[in-house]
Amino acid sequence: MAPLLSLSRLIDRFTAWVGRWVAWLVLAAVLISAINAAVRKLFNTSSNAYLEIQWYLFAAVFLLAAGYTLMRQEHVKIDVVSGHLSKRTQIWIDIVGLVLFVLPLVYTVIRLSLPLAIRAYEMNEYSSNAGGLIRWPVFAILPLGFLLLGIQAVSELIKRVAFLRGLIPDPTQKAQAKSAEEELAEQLAKEVAEREKAALVGKP
Amino acid sequence: MMHFLAANMAPIMFASLVVFLLIGYPVAFSLGACGLFFGVVGVELGLMPQTLLQALPLRIFGIMQNDTLLAVPFFTLMGLILERSGMAEDLLDTIGQLFGPIRGGLAYAVILVGAMLAATTGVVAASVISMGLISLPIMLRYGYDRRVASGVIAASGTLAQIIPPSLVLIVLADQLGRSVGDLYRGAFLPGFALTGLYILYVLMVTMAQPSWAPALPKEARTIREDDGSPGLRSLGVVALLSVAAAVVFAKLRPAETPTDELIVISMSVGVGVAFALAVGNRLLKLHLLSRMAERVTFVLIPPLALIFLVLGTIFLGVATPTEGGAMGATGALVMALARRRLDFRLLKQALDTTMKISSFVLFILIGSTVFSLSFQAVDGPIWVEHLLTSLPGGQLGFLIVVNILIFLLAFFLDFFELSFIVIPLIAPVADKLGIDLVWFGVLLAVNMQTSFMHPPFGFALFYLRSVAPTEDYDDRITSRRIAKVTTGQIYWGAVPFVLIQILMVGLIIAFPKLVSTGAGGGPAVDVDKAFQQMQKDSAPRVEPPATFAPDGGASASPPPADPPADKAASDDEAMKRLLEATTPKKP
Repeated sequence: MAPLLSLSRLIDRFTAWVGRWVAWLVLAAVLISAINAAVRKLFNTSSNAYLEIQWYLFAAVFLLAAGYTLMRQEHVKIDVVSGHLSKRTQIWIDIVGLVLFVLPLVYTVIRLSLPLAIRAYEMNEYSSNAGGLIRWPVFAILPLGFLLLGIQAVSELIKRVAFLRGLIPDPTQKAQAKSAEEELAEQLAKEVAEREKAALVGKP
Repeated sequence: MMHFLAANMAPIMFASLVVFLLIGYPVAFSLGACGLFFGVVGVELGLMPQTLLQALPLRIFGIMQNDTLLAVPFFTLMGLILERSGMAEDLLDTIGQLFGPIRGGLAYAVILVGAMLAATTGVVAASVISMGLISLPIMLRYGYDRRVASGVIAASGTLAQIIPPSLVLIVLADQLGRSVGDLYRGAFLPGFALTGLYILYVLMVTMAQPSWAPALPKEARTIREDDGSPGLRSLGVVALLSVAAAVVFAKLRPAETPTDELIVISMSVGVGVAFALAVGNRLLKLHLLSRMAERVTFVLIPPLALIFLVLGTIFLGVATPTEGGAMGATGALVMALARRRLDFRLLKQALDTTMKISSFVLFILIGSTVFSLSFQAVDGPIWVEHLLTSLPGGQLGFLIVVNILIFLLAFFLDFFELSFIVIPLIAPVADKLGIDLVWFGVLLAVNMQTSFMHPPFGFALFYLRSVAPTEDYDDRITSRRIAKVTTGQIYWGAVPFVLIQILMVGLIIAFPKLVSTGAGGGPAVDVDKAFQQMQKDSAPRVEPPATFAPDGGASASPPPADPPADKAASDDEAMKRLLEATTPKKP
């Protein structure tokens, strides 16, 4: 189990690294879209390349982040029933889900989409729009995204099994220190306290 | 056995979906697994074509190219940056001071600020947290009833769901195959009507139980002139001047200007006048304006500017909703930078959250695409259609059943899940029954808003609980002991607002005109006028040809099984729909 656990740690580090970089594509997409909209209105020019790069980036964001989102346990679930089950049962559900749900889907999508990406690369396919972009990178994002998801699924599987054998603490505890909501609440609480203090000082 | 399977594949598949979802594994993968399982079994049994799954990568490519859903990360990022920019705090503070002196004033302030945050792409969680931390302590300090206070805060936070630009409307527009702009236009009036109903509720509370929502005492009013007067007169003058400027400007425009354009531009003129007055007063040190007038003007400028940047440009047709979202996000970033509220860590965190939300939303869509691929192969949509069209009562029966269904499902599912799983099943049926899908989408959005308020799972209640005091505490200002807010109080506080929501669903069904649909009908922002209009509409009338919304009179008498007026009117429309349906636009 020990070598597997080191593999899992390695995968987690890799996925976190991917997530850190992919997040910046969100900003790139926002800025390109805003600038493109402004330029189009102001100077009445636009290019299909700018329109296409937006959805290239969008596709890259949600597909390449799939593994990261899985690791952070942000894919929503319905826990009306499972919320009442024991921790071990929940972990078993996760294992069933990873083996029977995630991995077959990953395999199917990669098997079906990889040939399309390879063909687009070999034929040097371009977008049919005037000034459009080369196609294979965006075709390749689909199998790549699912590959990252599959790799992370393996790591999650290792962690679940290790937990059942009592080797590691509960892996489903959210790893992040604080959620965005908690941070917002903290910042606001601090501000309110400051304001109240100021109000008290201001009083005669 | 084989025969039984083949004949009942659709219901079997649907039942399996429910089981797969209830297992408690992430929805996206449960959906996908269910579709994949039946696809493979179906192909093996010869019930489905061998090539069934070949279509899958192309469907996913379709999702990747989806320009509408591209707006999801943009609006998410905008909301995340805005919630940390300090705008909500300033608004709550100032508007609270403005309305504080009247009975129920703080509650009105919360509702109005909630609506305004909603119009700048509010995020329910952020609105509720801000109000729960800033307004709730003040309300408790001055003796508001806990149920009223917590109910108002939770409900006002959920306005972000219905007042454009909201994520749920984007997702619904995508699933219904309608334009986001149309849904935004349609949701405008219901959003404001809901705001009005909340205000009405608070008004009724202050009349029935004045002690539940008292006015702020004198010592709590901090924005005052040096002589102690509130300085409302000069605020009134500024407001009057800007309204006058807007009205005069509107009158000067050529008569054929579209209504939405007129409203957007005139409002900008009015706001511009107020802003110019306040800036001039400050720069020239004229001291003509009271502190209150200046504060209110300055605090309203950032949200109004953002509303114009996003909604204004969308309604003017200058920008697509996606571009509006991108400009809004950029505007929010600029504003947060200018206020020194944005640092590298916060930006990284906002981008990280946006990425995760985009990923989980789009993966639910991918999962539901896999599911629908197999479900279509077993003629599932036809089965659902037979099920729903065989309901008694035609359109009205369908609407009532669907709304009850959504209301109940909203206890367990959030709006993303509802939109991607349930809407694709019922939208084609609604379309077949002659229901306008824009109207239908807005109706469902109002209904789904309740999913945030349902005790005990409602998200708004959950976030309010996380910031409301869980133990008795000593108030710093008055040094009085203040009791905690119990979870029961939060739940009971939400109940009247869930009822208001149901009332609103009923109103939209009874008065379809509340949702402006189709060409020409711009967003009617004037609620008074709309109510007059509603009164007129409730009189018996012939349905105008372009409208597909069910007849308003239908609720009074049992509707005919097949409304003939709609039938006749639908002939032209049918051709258009056919054309629309055959043009490839979405997966």
